[in-house]
Amino acid sequence: MSTIEDLVQRSAIAKIDVPLDVGEQPLRLLFGTPGFVDWLKCILEGIEPKIRLGDTTPAEQIDHLFHLFLTGRPLVPMRQFRFIRAEDNAVWELKTPDIRIFGWFLKRDCFVGVFGDWADQVKDHDLYRGYRIAIRRLRRELGVDDSLCVKGILPSDVISV
Amino acid sequence: MTLFQFDVGDRARKTGRLVGRVRDELVRALADKRLKERITQQGLAKKLGVHRSQINRQLSGEANLTLRSLADLAWAMNMDVVFELREPASPAGSNEPPETSTVGHAPAKILDGRRRMPSGAPASKAAPDDLP
Repeated sequence: MSTIEDLVQRSAIAKIDVPLDVGEQPLRLLFGTPGFVDWLKCILEGIEPKIRLGDTTPAEQIDHLFHLFLTGRPLVPMRQFRFIRAEDNAVWELKTPDIRIFGWFLKRDCFVGVFGDWADQVKDHDLYRGYRIAIRRLRRELGVDDSLCVKGILPSDVISV
Repeated sequence: MTLFQFDVGDRARKTGRLVGRVRDELVRALADKRLKERITQQGLAKKLGVHRSQINRQLSGEANLTLRSLADLAWAMNMDVVFELREPASPAGSNEPPETSTVGHAPAKILDGRRRMPSGAPASKAAPDDLP
């Protein structure tokens, strides 16, 4: 049975932080696979979608989303996060106006990002199924069992308020 | 323990978090009004004389939110907007973000996640247009 520490030590996932303001403390945990971290580095380099919908940059949108998540603030179901398909050990999506992040919850308040993509790309090409299958395959390859995957699909199963 | 710090730089951080916070506040206020007073996006749109999709795009972040539209939405929800600029405060006893791992006990290996400006200088340093 894998633990979070095992996955981190095997470099299967890395912890992700954003700078917090004075007086703030991380109340949730965020991890990413090496591929997801590489994608975040590209976002920091300033890549943009063909047509940007949001009035902030993709990097700013992600910083805000991660900041909300890590500081334990409420996220709005459907608008900021949702499951892809109603099933045990579901794959979840975090959302900003221009970005979609796919991954799963290791535990309540503990998310692993696996893929990031432009929102219009995901919607235009209906990539939800592909990302969902790829994440389920990755979990099998990593030996992630039920102990490292939230089973429920209620917002309160994955995020505390 | 490998730690990736997603650092967009001070200026972008302030922008993104302020814009995001304003929008989140509007979404939460409307959700609250919907529960207590049954006010809907459709109702707001009717009161403001715009299409519901415009309200939806403004709340979802897919359309620009101007100060005028913020004030309009607050008016339509019968809410006041509180706005204040303050000097940064760092009162004694404030917590600071941790620099060590919270998973495992080994020292954190920190990957460089600072946003690079075109010149190659990290954005956390003051950009030229940050200067007075």
